[in-house]
Amino acid sequence: MMDPAPVHLDFQRHTLDNGLRLILHHQPHLPLVATNLWYHVGSKNEEPGRTGFAHLFEHLLFQGSEHVDTNDHFRLIQQAGGTANGSTWFDRTNYHAVLPSHRLDLGLWLEADRMGFFLPAIDQEKLDNQRDVVMNERRQRIDNQPYGRAFECLLGMLYGEGHPYSWPVIGYMEDLEKANLDDVRRFFRKFYVPNNAVLTLAGDFDPHRVVEQVERYFAAIPGGAPVDQPTPETRIAQTQQHVEQDDVELARIYMGFVVPAYGTEEWLAANLLATVLADGKSSPLYEDLVYERQIAQDVSTYVFPTELTAAFLVIATAVPDTTPEALYAAIGEHLDRYIKNGLAEADLERARNRLLMTHFHQLQTLERRADLLSRATVLFDDPSKATADIEGYMRQTPEDLASVLRRYGSEENRVLLTIEPEENA
Amino acid sequence: MSDLDRSIPPKAGEWRPFDFPSFERRRLRNGLDVVCAPTKRFPLLSLDLLLPAGGYHAGPGEAGLPSLHGDLLDEGTHKKTAIEIANEVERIGGYLGSGSDWNVASVGVNLLSQQVDTGLALIADIARNPAFPDDEVERLRRQRLTEILRRRSQPGSLAQMTFARTVFQGTTFEAPLIGTEDSLEQLNRDDCVAFYKRRMGPAGAVMIAVGDFDPDALVPKIDAAFGDWEKQLDTSEPTISPEPLTSVEVHVVDRPNAAQTQLQLGHLGISRNSPDHPRVLLMNAIFGGIFTSRINLNLRERHGFTYGATSQLVYRRGPGVLAMRAAVATESAGTAVQEVLHEMRRMREEPVSEDELRDCQDFLVGVFPTTLQTIGDIARRLEDLVVYDLGEKYYESYPDVLRHVSQDDIQDAAQRYLHPDRLAIVAVGPADDLLPQLAELGEVRVHTP
Repeated sequence: MMDPAPVHLDFQRHTLDNGLRLILHHQPHLPLVATNLWYHVGSKNEEPGRTGFAHLFEHLLFQGSEHVDTNDHFRLIQQAGGTANGSTWFDRTNYHAVLPSHRLDLGLWLEADRMGFFLPAIDQEKLDNQRDVVMNERRQRIDNQPYGRAFECLLGMLYGEGHPYSWPVIGYMEDLEKANLDDVRRFFRKFYVPNNAVLTLAGDFDPHRVVEQVERYFAAIPGGAPVDQPTPETRIAQTQQHVEQDDVELARIYMGFVVPAYGTEEWLAANLLATVLADGKSSPLYEDLVYERQIAQDVSTYVFPTELTAAFLVIATAVPDTTPEALYAAIGEHLDRYIKNGLAEADLERARNRLLMTHFHQLQTLERRADLLSRATVLFDDPSKATADIEGYMRQTPEDLASVLRRYGSEENRVLLTIEPEENA
Repeated sequence: MSDLDRSIPPKAGEWRPFDFPSFERRRLRNGLDVVCAPTKRFPLLSLDLLLPAGGYHAGPGEAGLPSLHGDLLDEGTHKKTAIEIANEVERIGGYLGSGSDWNVASVGVNLLSQQVDTGLALIADIARNPAFPDDEVERLRRQRLTEILRRRSQPGSLAQMTFARTVFQGTTFEAPLIGTEDSLEQLNRDDCVAFYKRRMGPAGAVMIAVGDFDPDALVPKIDAAFGDWEKQLDTSEPTISPEPLTSVEVHVVDRPNAAQTQLQLGHLGISRNSPDHPRVLLMNAIFGGIFTSRINLNLRERHGFTYGATSQLVYRRGPGVLAMRAAVATESAGTAVQEVLHEMRRMREEPVSEDELRDCQDFLVGVFPTTLQTIGDIARRLEDLVVYDLGEKYYESYPDVLRHVSQDDIQDAAQRYLHPDRLAIVAVGPADDLLPQLAELGEVRVHTP
């Protein structure tokens, strides 16, 4: 077995008076520093009928603030030789940059300005422009992509109407239309408060000065009211089947079931199971469906690291002349075999090694290190959990994997979505 | 706190220099080069063997053969089946792959540095003893035919294929790397075996090793694995010289129900090792290469037509292309194209401002270390060095070379490398909506996917 020891990340933790949590990971091997700011707000904090707002809001946060002109955020970062971006997901919105370490102050100033002085700079024109950009983003990623709408359809089937994970992060077009400036102001005041954020700095900084540097820009920003997170009932999906047509040449199937949240032992078992099943050419699903029977063009599995509950997905694309039913049956055989006979230690060992190697590779970048620390602090208020998954994988047994499948992934819990070619042609 | 004036961006602290990781090049007795870049930061090792057997080296009627051949290398050797090979590396967590791009064939492995012997033995077996089993040849051939089918519903792929057919007409580059339905119908195992004998061997091959190792220990191991490999039959390098377009050519790929229109505009570009490259790189960055580029600020931030507009220099041995891409709202497609052409003309007619150039230089020079954090990053830079013959000192002098480009150089680059009146315009979307918008640009040819 591989040695997981080198994955540990050292950190220091401070909390400012306004509630902003600061995580410091000192790693001066390159003259670079990553800044990574997580706000604990994502699409799950939206209301049905007003979806896509958290992500639209992320776009607006790059449109300047009281002391930063409209296009200056990216311009100043680029001038400094840095890169920056943001992303929105179900549970959170993050803003991240990598800068030459002598420009850390610039990164802190920019983040502090939009945390503390965003509202005076927002106007209708910026909102309208970014709404158009986001609608085009939705067209580009979802509506004009083959299979693009499958995922949001699957979310609805898995979680059920009204569940905060049941709508897509990018939102629905008709909801994006409705967003107005009052929503923007309310959303900002409620969620973009220092006590709902974690700032991680990873890389090259002066460990003796850095807290003072951060305080200089962030300490004056007032804290806000505590933020309540939704606590919906977790339901176990009941078997459902749905067929959609799309402008595609090949049918694709999505099999999903709901497993416990990221951070639980069962989530770790589920993620290992997904890795056993379809990660790599020597995995059973790949070997059987792609090599042996040659009924699938590709097959993959995912388990999302989401905080309320999580989805386990198996996705496969049919080759011409193969029916979706043949794919469901073949995947079902593998799952049922594990339910009945369990897994071999060698399967688990291979999956552990794959995950550990992936982790090693990801830890090479400062941005990934910073993101892991922010995530662990936002979700668990514990930066030491940043690398806890890897230690957790070592604890799991073949029986743990089989039991998570029995409990959550048996036939009556699986939702099945088929995307098939349109019949018109 | 009182001394903080938030209206002024903070000053820079003390700059810390960055040097490109040091590397050395050694040659084995049979001509195979080894480029070593040892770095102790992580207990990882990446080995990549690059061979002069890329798409570029296909003969007439061989479209797709180098790619099929490259992917088949790790699908079975005279000693092991495809699954045995995959299992051997995957059970220890490693990643292994073979394949081919336009320039080279490659066999590579990523693993823990302590697993070096396993990795090296595997890539030597794959590179030297591939079996091209009949059933794997047939499986991959069918997989490619299916992939061609799949691309018919991908707007980006449709735009790229139509674009390549137009700008590379009559050359090896006009067909997709994976081939066409026609060429794949003809290819078989014998073609793969013949291509292997012709092109695969130590001459012109380079092993790039990056990670935690000692070159004095690794190079003898590579020599033991490859030193007695005999030279291949054909080491010639073809010349590929597409004719530049002489007018604007407009192509619409009709997808009547498309929710958006995928645009791709451009023409031939620049060779990666041209002495003009630094000025063209900066010119393209200002025009469309970075987030704050002219076309992105215009199409995205001013007009909201698109989620993003970019212009990219795509390199190949031989001529590359300069390609602008944006997925736009269909009703804005005509205006978006006009705005891009307008920005092209502006680049040619007016010098860029001093600030614009300096910002871009600062970005490209400053961001360099950020793009060199992982062993994979370093390996890719070394691959460019080798594939495009950039010279050993290239990365060392790169920041200074960029700094010395002037406003006049940028305008010169725009005038010689941007051609708004001699380019291909491809739009993938509903033809009925697009034709009226694009008709005034030139004769429009309509295609079905």
